[in-house]
Amino acid sequence: MPDVHLWATDGYISTPDGKSIYIWGFTDQEGGSARLPGPLIIIKQNAPPRKTTVNVSLTNNLDVPVSLLFPGQEEVRVHGRRVQPQYENGALVSLANFARPGETITYTFTAAGPGTFLYESGTNPHQQVPMGLYGSIIVRPWDYEPDSGEFQTAYGAGTGTEFQREYLLVLSELDPGLHQALETGGNYDIRGFKPRYWTINGRCANDTMLPDHAAHLPNQPHGSMVMMEPGERVLLRYACAGSANHPLHPHGNHTRLVGLDGRLLQNRIGPTIHDLSYKRFTVLVGAGQTYDQIYTWTGLGFDPVSRPIPTTLPNIRNVVIGHTGMTFWNGSPYLGEKRELPPDVVSFNEKGEYHFMLHSHAEPEITNWGAFPGGLMTMIAVYPEGTLDEHHGRLPVEST
Amino acid sequence: MGIELHRAATDGWVETPDGRIHYIFGFTDVTGVPEKNLAGYRGKAELMAPPLVLQVGEEYFVTLTSIGTPTRPDLDDPHTIHYHGFPNQIALYDGVPEASVAVPVGRSFVYYYKPLDPGTYMYHCHHEPVEHIQMGMVGPLVVRPADYNPAHPDYKTAYGHGTGTEYDREYYMFLNELDCVIHHQVETVQEPDWTEYRPTYWLINGRSYPDTVAIDTGGRLRLQPWPALIRANAGEKVLLRFVNLGFEQHALMLLGAAFRVIGIDGMRPLGLNGEDLSFYKNIIFIAPGQSYDAVFTAPQARPGESYPLTLPLYNRNLTKNTTGGTEPGGMITEVQVFAPGGLPPQAEPNQP
Ligand SMILES: [Cu+2]
Ligand SMILES: [Cu+2]
Repeated sequence: MPDVHLWATDGYISTPDGKSIYIWGFTDQEGGSARLPGPLIIIKQNAPPRKTTVNVSLTNNLDVPVSLLFPGQEEVRVHGRRVQPQYENGALVSLANFARPGETITYTFTAAGPGTFLYESGTNPHQQVPMGLYGSIIVRPWDYEPDSGEFQTAYGAGTGTEFQREYLLVLSELDPGLHQALETGGNYDIRGFKPRYWTINGRCANDTMLPDHAAHLPNQPHGSMVMMEPGERVLLRYACAGSANHPLHPHGNHTRLVGLDGRLLQNRIGPTIHDLSYKRFTVLVGAGQTYDQIYTWTGLGFDPVSRPIPTTLPNIRNVVIGHTGMTFWNGSPYLGEKRELPPDVVSFNEKGEYHFMLHSHAEPEITNWGAFPGGLMTMIAVYPEGTLDEHHGRLPVEST
Repeated sequence: MGIELHRAATDGWVETPDGRIHYIFGFTDVTGVPEKNLAGYRGKAELMAPPLVLQVGEEYFVTLTSIGTPTRPDLDDPHTIHYHGFPNQIALYDGVPEASVAVPVGRSFVYYYKPLDPGTYMYHCHHEPVEHIQMGMVGPLVVRPADYNPAHPDYKTAYGHGTGTEYDREYYMFLNELDCVIHHQVETVQEPDWTEYRPTYWLINGRSYPDTVAIDTGGRLRLQPWPALIRANAGEKVLLRFVNLGFEQHALMLLGAAFRVIGIDGMRPLGLNGEDLSFYKNIIFIAPGQSYDAVFTAPQARPGESYPLTLPLYNRNLTKNTTGGTEPGGMITEVQVFAPGGLPPQAEPNQP
């Protein structure tokens, strides 16, 4: 595992309603802007009995102290010593050893188990985490092997967590009042914390559905469109970096929850395995918590020739399509078929794929400052078999 | 072929026990109503929406007709039906306007469902869901197992014979909140700021206590025709089908009997290898968009006690047991337990 270097700095993100919002955050580029969320760290465990030791150096380019917490990781140390809460004159100033402005501090931890985790600031966290000082860690099992079938898993071969594609969705809330206060040096009363935006991977809908590395979102490089083919096992990794809980509901199917907080939902009592995984259509994604789930979609077998739908598709003039001027619909009941759409509607349908919404059911959270659509909403796009490029839903084995 | 059901989308008014009335959008059941008579249902939306009760293996053709909103004649919003939780749905029948079609005023659309999994689900409109859900286009959806037979105790089950989900009586516990300021804004053609959502009423089956325990279904509650009063004979198993289509989490507590959770989100709690993960709870803690099936056994009177016994069922988020700021109100109801044989068998869900 190569060492990781993060810089804490500031920057700007943009929202679909045209606002530019000042953030604090992390980058892995010296001199770069803060990114939301911070760079994804992917670690592959060493084969046992070798421990997996990770070094994360933090250089602080902000003018306040910043630290890093690694919830769920073991043996978190600074200069060989266990990280400790920091006090000044008897008052708690940080939940962990911190870097003062201009300083660099190196944390070491042991990645003891596979799963999805967060890293986040432990210094004034009620302010620094919502400002953007958070990111995710994926730990892969030591036997992980991409495109290998039984060894492409979330928790190791034989754990029932095989997948073909994986997507990480990091959630947070955003109160522009806090951001403006820290940008301008104004006052902010945390008792008044009131989110007006909600983000998945740092973006608000409909930007969530744009591809990775969209040119106009340089500091929000990750989309959250879940793209898959029928029958594939998709690993959805939810991580809530916010302070509130968000009930996420994917259309199209239930998910099976296989891991919580980076722990496999399984008990081993002697030689017996008790599986504790379960299926849900809405998962309450709790503050600071992570949820690893398997999602599949197989459809109902409809086919224009062998099994047509049992209803008549109305004339497109007698239904509403794309009331906001755009649609994801393929114009057809059938996967892989594209039919006529109203000429004044912009189609975002590529290859006749189906789209299923994935969104918060606390519906005020699917707005941008109160206006629908926005916030915690994206789509699951199911492409016809054999048409979806391999690179979608392929995260690297390890971050470089 | 198949079973035809019909829902109309329109608007209406609901009343809370403080005497205030609130503008809603919603659905009403127009199954079997001839086309030419549909206009007579304008303005008669019900809260909660009339339940959709389906059965595994049957085919359903559910027609949605948008019949307009007489209080907001200017409104040209279309509507849809989203069957929330239907596994492996296709986009066309999923009711998401951005991903298929929506139904404009004066038009109809037919949704086709052939349910494969029993359980408690929900349905709602998905056009501008924050507005149309809050305005009241929400209702429960129940799928009975293929072998369901209410005349035979082994086959009167939530999830099928042999699944340990038998019950004697069943009740919807349909939860949502109502922000009267936002309802007034929608009535008067103003755009709500949804980040200011602040409910003033908390409802079970569309009613606030004490209307929850009123058994009448007409008069001032004619558009809220679902009592939430639970009645059972001592020793009977009572299935409560909790659905949350509000925007807040709720914590419904029953005093005097424990819940056995036999279903969550329309799924029995089963591990990958069929492990039985059902469990006991005193409080059903339920998030927006979730459903819980919970069974309790109506307790026997102890020596010296007389029937009926009364067990309170209320929201442990105590501030929600209010009606427009006064208490008691909101998400309170009660279970009344009668002597064995005291009540005749229940013919319909929620029949007290
Ligand atoms: Cu609607
Ligand atoms: Cu829903």
